[in-house]
Amino acid sequence: MLLALHGVSKRFGALRALDGVGVEIGGRAVGLLGPNGAGKTTLMRVCLGLLTPDEGELRVLGIDARRDPGAVRMRLGYAAEGPHRIPGLSGLESVAYAGELCGLPRRTAILRAHEMLDLVGLDQARQRPVEEYSTGMHQRVKIAMALVHDPELLMLDEPTSGLDPGSRDELLQLIVRLRDGEGPAVLLSTHLLHDVERTCDGCIIMDRGQVRYAGPLEELQRQLGDDSYELRGSGELRALAEALAGAGHQVAWGDRPDSLVVRLRPGAGPAAIWEAAEATGSSLWQVMPRRQRLEDAFMAAVAQGGAR
Amino acid sequence: MKDQVYGVGYRRLPEGRSARWAPWPIARTALTLAWRKRSTKLGVGLCGLSVFGHGMALAAQVLAERFIDTGMGGASRAAETVVHGVIGDVHTTLANFIGVQMIATAFLLAMVAAGLIAEDRRTGAMELYFSRPLTRRDYLLGKLLAAGLVPAATLVLPFVGLWLFAAGMAPPGAVGPMLGLLLPGLLGATIAAVLLTATILGCSALGERGRTVGVIYVVGLLVLTSLGGELPASGHRWAGYLSPPRNVQTIVDAALDAGSSGLLLQVLSSRPEANPSVLLATLCVLGLSALGLGLLLWRVRKEVAG
Repeated sequence: MLLALHGVSKRFGALRALDGVGVEIGGRAVGLLGPNGAGKTTLMRVCLGLLTPDEGELRVLGIDARRDPGAVRMRLGYAAEGPHRIPGLSGLESVAYAGELCGLPRRTAILRAHEMLDLVGLDQARQRPVEEYSTGMHQRVKIAMALVHDPELLMLDEPTSGLDPGSRDELLQLIVRLRDGEGPAVLLSTHLLHDVERTCDGCIIMDRGQVRYAGPLEELQRQLGDDSYELRGSGELRALAEALAGAGHQVAWGDRPDSLVVRLRPGAGPAAIWEAAEATGSSLWQVMPRRQRLEDAFMAAVAQGGAR
Repeated sequence: MKDQVYGVGYRRLPEGRSARWAPWPIARTALTLAWRKRSTKLGVGLCGLSVFGHGMALAAQVLAERFIDTGMGGASRAAETVVHGVIGDVHTTLANFIGVQMIATAFLLAMVAAGLIAEDRRTGAMELYFSRPLTRRDYLLGKLLAAGLVPAATLVLPFVGLWLFAAGMAPPGAVGPMLGLLLPGLLGATIAAVLLTATILGCSALGERGRTVGVIYVVGLLVLTSLGGELPASGHRWAGYLSPPRNVQTIVDAALDAGSSGLLLQVLSSRPEANPSVLLATLCVLGLSALGLGLLLWRVRKEVAG
């Protein structure tokens, strides 16, 4: 189990950054999704022991993070959002220094720093001072610093923000390689759904300090239903739409004038569509199951919370 | 040339790593970074020049006394005078050294240590530190070590070196009484080092830019020293306690009086200016040091507790 939180709350004055967060999640790569201000960074900082929660129980990798934050941090790697750096140090020195702070002997830390910089693809520039780095290079150094002491869980806070498409793609590739290889498990905090869809097998959706969903991505998509169909055809489509709506299905017009999106009522199969088409004299030339995208699932989960 | 993501795999580190003392890498890195600045090298040069100048002065004084001794034919009365002269000169030079070197070290500390906390806050490095398995104590010790090594290297060790240098050149009869100068002087140099370390870190904990903190620190110290030196002469005796070097001198003088034999006290013809109350001087030094350390602790607690 990567994270197990029960009733964790954290206030900043009147603002409830975390509001009774309860979640248990494992896996190799977990996305922490949510709009800005959802409480993602606060959750990560609480897990690291940088913030003390006002109430609740919190276990990270099986360790009580409130009682023993040092042991948690020894097993965690954290790459914070923003330009956190020690000016004057080169990329190599920064990574080696991070290793030494985690208890590696100096020589081992330097060797390991080279290894990690190779891994993240920072080759020529590793001897240059970090303040001369581009955003992409800086993100790579931060990931190398988070990995240098061989953590069991790597926490990345918005690692792709501000990156150009090429650098973003390379960074996501790296996360996938870590997930699929011997690297640590990854907790990826982002508001970019595509990043999670591409790299993670599970996700936590947060909104206004609360967890709206926690579990595998596939389960989230399944929960929201795979019983939607996109219909395309000709003839009496308006009559078809009315007939389907009259039978209790949800119908909406699609992106094109000749398409309909139908979400069948529970228990009904696609045969209901064909029957309605026959009854209304419509000719359908496409009935395609519409796969729920993560974006839909995310919006639905957040909307569900908002309606609560 | 564009960097490429290589096909290098992730390698696990062997289990069972032993814990290492984290403050040392913090201190070493801070000093390494400081040494890369040209201003630090200038500061080191200034301190070195002060040590060299005082060394030369000691050599000149001791050798001059011995030369006069030889010139007078080595009679026993003259030898005693030589010993007294040597001890008096060495005392004056070493006392002067502590005062001057305190100011020179403050210049150097402004370059080395003014940004130790301030720059960590400004650049977000504090979060970087505390997302590692570091405790507040490790961080504080690392920063104290980095700042403390500077006055240790420019004030305490050179004082011992100068004393040894003087003792090595002095006539045989002078070495014994000169021992009475070593411990009080060492105490003064150490107190000055602690005071400078605590105050620079306290100032750094308040500011957000190293350069600004450094300038304010040096100007503040110079103003206090100047006020503490000038105002007592015009009747404001209380103002002497504003000057950190004068307070340190007061403590050194008291230690000299308390721990020395009558012979040594007889030959110390001139004393540097000091404050009338040792207790008040000690309280001022302790209060200033405690204020600096208190600000440091407060800042770190505030930052890390979020």
